[in-house]
Amino acid sequence: MQFQLDENQAAVLAGVQAILQHHQDVPGAHRRGWSYYSMELDEALSRNGYLDIGRTEGMGGVESALVVLEAAKAPVSVEIGASVLVAPHLSATEIPRPICLISGDLMKAQRYLPVARTAIIDTGDDVLVLPVDPANVEAVESIFAYPFGRFKTRPDLAGAQRLGKAAVAPLRQWARVALACEVAGAMRAAIDFTVDYTKQRKMFGSTLAAYQAVHHRLAECHLIAEGVRALALKAAWSGDESEAAWAATYAQMNIQKVLFDTHQFNGGMGVTNEHKLHFWTYRFRALQAEVGGQSGAALDTADLRWGPPGAGAIDRAAVRGAA
Amino acid sequence: MEFAWSQSHLDYRKRVSGFLEKELPADWFETLQKGIATKEQAEFSRDFCPKLADAGLLTPQWPKEYGGEDGEAWEQFILAEEVWRWGEPRGPQYMGVNWIGPTLMRFGTEEQKDIHLKGIASGKLVWSQGFSEPQAGTDLGAMQTKAEWNGQGYTVNGMKLWTSYSEWADWIFLLARTGPERKQISVFLVDMKTPGIQVVPFPGLPEYGHLNEVYFDNVHIPASALLGEEHKGWDIMAFTLNFERVGLPRYIWGLRTLDIAVEQLKAEGRFDDPICRAAAGRIVARFEAATVLTYAVVDERINDIQGTVTPNVQRITAAQACLDLMSFMMDYVPDCLTGGNNFLELFYRGQVASTIAAGAYEIQLDAIAQRGLGMPRGR
Ligand SMILES: Cc1cc2nc3c(=O)[nH]c(=O)nc-3n(C[C@H](O)[C@H](O)[C@H](O)COP(=O)(O)OP(=O)(O)OC[C@H]3O[C@@H](n4cnc5c(N)ncnc54)[C@H](O)[C@@H]3O)c2cc1C
Repeated sequence: MQFQLDENQAAVLAGVQAILQHHQDVPGAHRRGWSYYSMELDEALSRNGYLDIGRTEGMGGVESALVVLEAAKAPVSVEIGASVLVAPHLSATEIPRPICLISGDLMKAQRYLPVARTAIIDTGDDVLVLPVDPANVEAVESIFAYPFGRFKTRPDLAGAQRLGKAAVAPLRQWARVALACEVAGAMRAAIDFTVDYTKQRKMFGSTLAAYQAVHHRLAECHLIAEGVRALALKAAWSGDESEAAWAATYAQMNIQKVLFDTHQFNGGMGVTNEHKLHFWTYRFRALQAEVGGQSGAALDTADLRWGPPGAGAIDRAAVRGAA
Repeated sequence: MEFAWSQSHLDYRKRVSGFLEKELPADWFETLQKGIATKEQAEFSRDFCPKLADAGLLTPQWPKEYGGEDGEAWEQFILAEEVWRWGEPRGPQYMGVNWIGPTLMRFGTEEQKDIHLKGIASGKLVWSQGFSEPQAGTDLGAMQTKAEWNGQGYTVNGMKLWTSYSEWADWIFLLARTGPERKQISVFLVDMKTPGIQVVPFPGLPEYGHLNEVYFDNVHIPASALLGEEHKGWDIMAFTLNFERVGLPRYIWGLRTLDIAVEQLKAEGRFDDPICRAAAGRIVARFEAATVLTYAVVDERINDIQGTVTPNVQRITAAQACLDLMSFMMDYVPDCLTGGNNFLELFYRGQVASTIAAGAYEIQLDAIAQRGLGMPRGR
């Protein structure tokens, strides 16, 4: 066991960070918006091979997870979790990206659909890989800091590639790892941003950061972000279904706490789009219900540890939200 | 970064677990259910720890010159995980092994090392830790127990509180004031049989054996009881606390306790309820977060990375998991506190003060905020 990054991992991290330092701000025209999908960052990551890292010889789960986690710290969004951590575990051939992961009602608004070239759909007993026709997608405005969109008309699933029932579990597993990495990165950035703000904001003759009430709650946020990060990296390394479920459970069950505390200490400023905070917080907020949400991940954790429920159990499909 | 156990670690784990399986008596769980700080457990440990010692499993991390195996930190930790899987059959003796021993190696005289290290390594002696007083818990510097030089040795007067295991202890690692200034505190190694020491247990929510008052009434101790230099107790404490950094693997016992609660729920046909199952799943996630963060602490120790807040992060994460488990028990198996399940009660009462003892919750959060997040000292 070794928690320090090896040379390869440190090089990957440094490489991604070098790219990300040019994407620490949302361009002026979009500064007051809800979200900004950065095609520039997408291209830069792609050009440098980081979006193929999940399929690159010599690169493993930790390297892929580090890239997703780091990219999630940027205030701009870029589809990376599904491309880097999910798709390589579903198909030997490359799946055109950006990718939109869909579970639940196909006709509801979906994260990344307006930019997606492919939708990967969890139907509960099959996984469908569907090319997205941009003409059949309309953008949906929302306060989430991801592009959301919906199909105008129900897409014809006959044209989708079917990966079969065996692909369902890996899809959910890796979607959970990706989710936990994104939550860990976005939480880290939101906490750091908030800590900085409390150090600058003065009141009653001292900075906000000097109040113990503020310390304690942000310290709790810090330990959550550290826990999510550690669980996500370990799940990415092990490729273990239970570990993925733990990481997603821990991430999703703690989103409310970190969101509330980070917003709270940015005061009224934090709820304006002048401030950058929502670019992170409303990303992890959007992930709270994905892949079955915390109930789905926690129920899978229970099934994996203690076996499935016996007779008389309530139908799980509704809880898990299969499409 | 990688999370695999090496072959030698796997082998070591097998060696420890094989030993425990073979050597723990059939009625061990009955003894355990009496509580970790009870007389029965202290007596059991005096019987069992010598066997661990004979097998080289009591002080393996100690240097060879003191009877250890020069074992590395991972082995010490694997050992701790495996003994906790069984509910810690070393009883109170983990203290002597984990930090009193190493502190003596660093600060003790040859004579002190000779007497005490041999004693701890024999597995027959129980130590207790006399720091806290009614007015001096978190703020240890406010302690009033005095040790005054009497020409030949020291005379101790005062009182310690919450002194776990002291009713059964052979020795106490005692902090006492040796001068009027706040910092003038010293450490003494005191034989509990010395005349003038009286232990008064009293009841409370934690399992029996933690809540003791220890009175010192004109207790004469020899000069040789002083550890290190007079007034330099804080330096010793700083060193000692470093050894405490690697926390107890509470998650092992927590997950085992959760399994026991689930077994009961299954047996009663009540574990199909998805609300209950999801609650149990969330507790697993909390304990698993605590597990991986604890491994991070061990890793930092091995790599000599100092001054981080990972130990505090790990402590609070584990405490939150324990609190959630206790609440889960009250939601679904509350009869455990009315004679229905001793194991569950043992966990409950064992953890009831886990956010207070050994560095209270808020103090850990202060450390995270100040050292981890760089926030100024609180007001
Ligand atoms: C089961 C049990 C076993 C124990 N075993 C031992 C033992 O073997 N040997 C021994 O010496 N001691 C032992 N203790 C004592 C333990 O170390 C103390 O209880 C602990 O240090 C806290 O001190 P206190 O109880 O005086 O609480 P206080 O110090 O009075 O703290 C009360 C509360 O105030 C909070 N607080 C304190 N300072 C601050 C601050 N600056 N800012 C914000 N909040 C603050 C604390 O976090 C806590 O929540 C044991 C205690 C228990 C409960």
